[in-house]
Amino acid sequence: MRGAEEEITAVPAAQLSAAAALVSFGLLGVAYAGASGTPRVGSPVNFAAAGEVVRTRTLSNGMQIIIWPDHKIPSVVLYNWVHVGSRNEGSGTTGLAHFFEHMMFNGTARRAPGEFDRLLEASGGSNNAFTSQDVTVYQDWFPRSSLELVLDLESDRLANLAFVPKVVESEREVVYSERRLRVEDSNPAMLEEQVQAAAFVAHPYRIPTIGWPADIKSWTLADLQNFYHTWYAPNNCTLVLVGDLDPEQAFALVEKYYGAIPRGQGTPAVRTTEPEQSGERRLTVEHAGKNPLVLLAYHAVAADDARAPALNLLQTILTGGDAARLHRTLVEDQKLAVEISSGWSEGFDPNLYLISATLPETGSTAEFERALNAELARLIKDGVTAAELTRAKNQQAALFWRGVATLDGKARLVGEFAVLHGDHRKLFTAPAAYEAVTAEQVLSVAREVFRSRQRTVGVLQPHAAAEH
Amino acid sequence: MLAATLLAGISAASAALSDAHINVPVPAHQRVTLGNGLKLILVPRADVPLVAFNLVLRGGARLDPVGRDGTAALTADLLTYGAGARDAYAWADAVEGAGGNLDAGAHDEAILVHGQFLARDAALMLQLLSDAVLQPRFAAEEFAKLRDRRIEELKAVKDSSPQALLGNYGRALLFGGHAYGRAVGGSESSLLQITLADVTHYYASEFGADRATLVIVGDFAPGSMQKAVTAAFGAWHRAAQPLPPLAEPARISGRRVLLVDAPGAAQTYFWLGNVGVARRFAQRAALQISNAAFGGRFGSMLNQELRIKAGLTYSASSAFTRGTVSGDFAIGSFTQTDNTARALDLALATLGRLQADGLDATTLASARAYLLGQYPLAFETSADWAGAFGDLDLYDLPESYIGEFGTELINTDASMLKSVIDSAYPSPDNLAIVLIGDAAKIRAAASKLGPVTEMALAATDFSPAKSGR
Repeated sequence: MRGAEEEITAVPAAQLSAAAALVSFGLLGVAYAGASGTPRVGSPVNFAAAGEVVRTRTLSNGMQIIIWPDHKIPSVVLYNWVHVGSRNEGSGTTGLAHFFEHMMFNGTARRAPGEFDRLLEASGGSNNAFTSQDVTVYQDWFPRSSLELVLDLESDRLANLAFVPKVVESEREVVYSERRLRVEDSNPAMLEEQVQAAAFVAHPYRIPTIGWPADIKSWTLADLQNFYHTWYAPNNCTLVLVGDLDPEQAFALVEKYYGAIPRGQGTPAVRTTEPEQSGERRLTVEHAGKNPLVLLAYHAVAADDARAPALNLLQTILTGGDAARLHRTLVEDQKLAVEISSGWSEGFDPNLYLISATLPETGSTAEFERALNAELARLIKDGVTAAELTRAKNQQAALFWRGVATLDGKARLVGEFAVLHGDHRKLFTAPAAYEAVTAEQVLSVAREVFRSRQRTVGVLQPHAAAEH
Repeated sequence: MLAATLLAGISAASAALSDAHINVPVPAHQRVTLGNGLKLILVPRADVPLVAFNLVLRGGARLDPVGRDGTAALTADLLTYGAGARDAYAWADAVEGAGGNLDAGAHDEAILVHGQFLARDAALMLQLLSDAVLQPRFAAEEFAKLRDRRIEELKAVKDSSPQALLGNYGRALLFGGHAYGRAVGGSESSLLQITLADVTHYYASEFGADRATLVIVGDFAPGSMQKAVTAAFGAWHRAAQPLPPLAEPARISGRRVLLVDAPGAAQTYFWLGNVGVARRFAQRAALQISNAAFGGRFGSMLNQELRIKAGLTYSASSAFTRGTVSGDFAIGSFTQTDNTARALDLALATLGRLQADGLDATTLASARAYLLGQYPLAFETSADWAGAFGDLDLYDLPESYIGEFGTELINTDASMLKSVIDSAYPSPDNLAIVLIGDAAKIRAAASKLGPVTEMALAATDFSPAKSGR
């Protein structure tokens, strides 16, 4: 990510999983709408029908295009989902996908560094980007009159990126500053980076998306060029346009600017699967600070797994609000934690379900862990109540409607489904799968995921800052 | 209808822009004042089956008792931890069971109770809202838990994102004893001073229907909603006393530097500020154009110099915080510890360059187009409009503040820009400066800026005088 204003954060996985969770929340909106039985003329209560306005096309070079017209405000939002993230990196080049997210603003064969932002802002647009373990996403928010300019700028950097050595060095420092901000001066992020690296021994989800410090300092120009030519090809992109536009005119403009870009050679698959973990792993991070932190990471499932809806409902039941189980028992009743959250990164491959807690300064991590384990044991023994499941479904229904209330939310939702779930139409058809989720299925996925032998437990034990 | 009139009136000015959407039309709405003084604004809007609400209660943190910063914020918090027939648990079950949200918080000049429910649950929403505001329980156990939790959260922020606290240190340094210098959420030490009696006293003295505006936006029928609101809020009493006036804060002359020691910090986080302008500042279009160009967008002067050209930081920006009276103008950024002096010099020089050279015609046109293109995105949802109508009322602004903003942007010329740059921005010689970082390594850089006061990040307040450390 390149700007502080935008709330989407790519690098700390906990925040990413929060964003991913929002996507899954979308589904139940439809479930609720279907169950409420009060369809209203003019309201998109029937979400499956709302999906009919979404248009898709695949260019001859393999680029996927999704267009969702919405004329509420005279604006358009573009998300270009490039199917590459830190899971496509290796030793020595960690952080490269994220660095690319920065380099994509630094000039092309046709335009000098800085021109992208200068031209876009002068025509009323703003932009940002984020990188995750799975994808790199470029975002533009602009008035409808700037659509052609934006497609010109976006297609230019996809096809003609330049690598100016001086700019590479300057941007390297910017990215290192981002690492200091997000990781090195943040105890939760320091702990998460270590837990992620310990939980995966084989799969590249072990790699921190921001990159290890030594790698940030040592990527070469050749690494960048190789990465660009491998991953930045139209057949590795999903372009989403949402807003005040005419689909046919927009398709024609997309064809005009992207149609001539040659298809790429194809991308290497991630072949490694994580071997089953056969015992709990534990680690400790010592760092200056006051509040102890505990982070548990359980191996979970991939985005397109049939159990995903049940797992998302379980997440809401455990930590989705003040009435949620773990908040109520551990924060309100027992006062062992100041804050507890949990979430799951929905990715191409099975990722981690994280449970994260901040303890009071005087809190005991051992006592907290005992209480959390007791709660998880109770969950696995007794499952969830009908009231909890209903509440979770209603919460997700409301979150869904809030999500599709904006052009930006629509671009994110439809893109997530197209890319990570394999088909944008699943956004509109998954409601049936969510509505069908039973308490038994939630219990079943809880039993599969929350096994102590396949978890990694990280503790951040703070110590007083050294005196000068 | 208002918007249509405006669009017709500016057709000549907008000729340069091919797209006619210069102004964001203010949606049709109804305004009613109940017998007890509560102002009600109803904005029917049926794009999604949701209803958003925003109750604005004038007063807020500026009424906190001296030494007890955070009283209004804790009072607001507690509104949603048990009210009417429900204790805190039953409350959370009711709100979240319906998939709703209902949050209460304070800022300098108001307490806001806001949220969103599915349209089918509008009756429940009104009942919960009126219970929260009219019948909060203020249970002793909930008070103690929340106060302790807020204290721990402040400590945890120091461990996770110290830059988030720059404004607290900066405003304490800049505004001194003025209400805008208070930490809205309190400090570790001020929160410890607050008792449940302070909270109930704040509630008894500072809550009342005649201080409140309730905005409801979304999928509902206005007639029945007005009846329901009247039934739910008609019995609310008026406030015990009139709202005291807020004094205009004085700008500072010269520099004062606060060094907040965070031993081992990887970067230095800095804030440079002085008193700026109020919400009702007449030339706000020129103000926003100038700030977009100076520090309010990615390609701004500050971000160009510190990030894009020099690679010193991930982000450098500036902003005006504007209230009933003048709030702060502040520059914020951060850099690797060793580069502290260089980044600060560059930020100061960039501010100096804005004032010496002004902004050229290309920059004016670009920043104006940028704001014209971006501001519709801030008025997209029912919740956006609930917030916007609430702000208009709180700061006593006309609807044209939103509805004619585009026209004002179009009509801003170079001389207006120059006048605003001369009057609203501080000289680099007159600044409150906060540095959070490893003092042993940046003490020398700090002392070059001006007279330095030093305190520890671990100290329990946001100014050295109060912390005594």
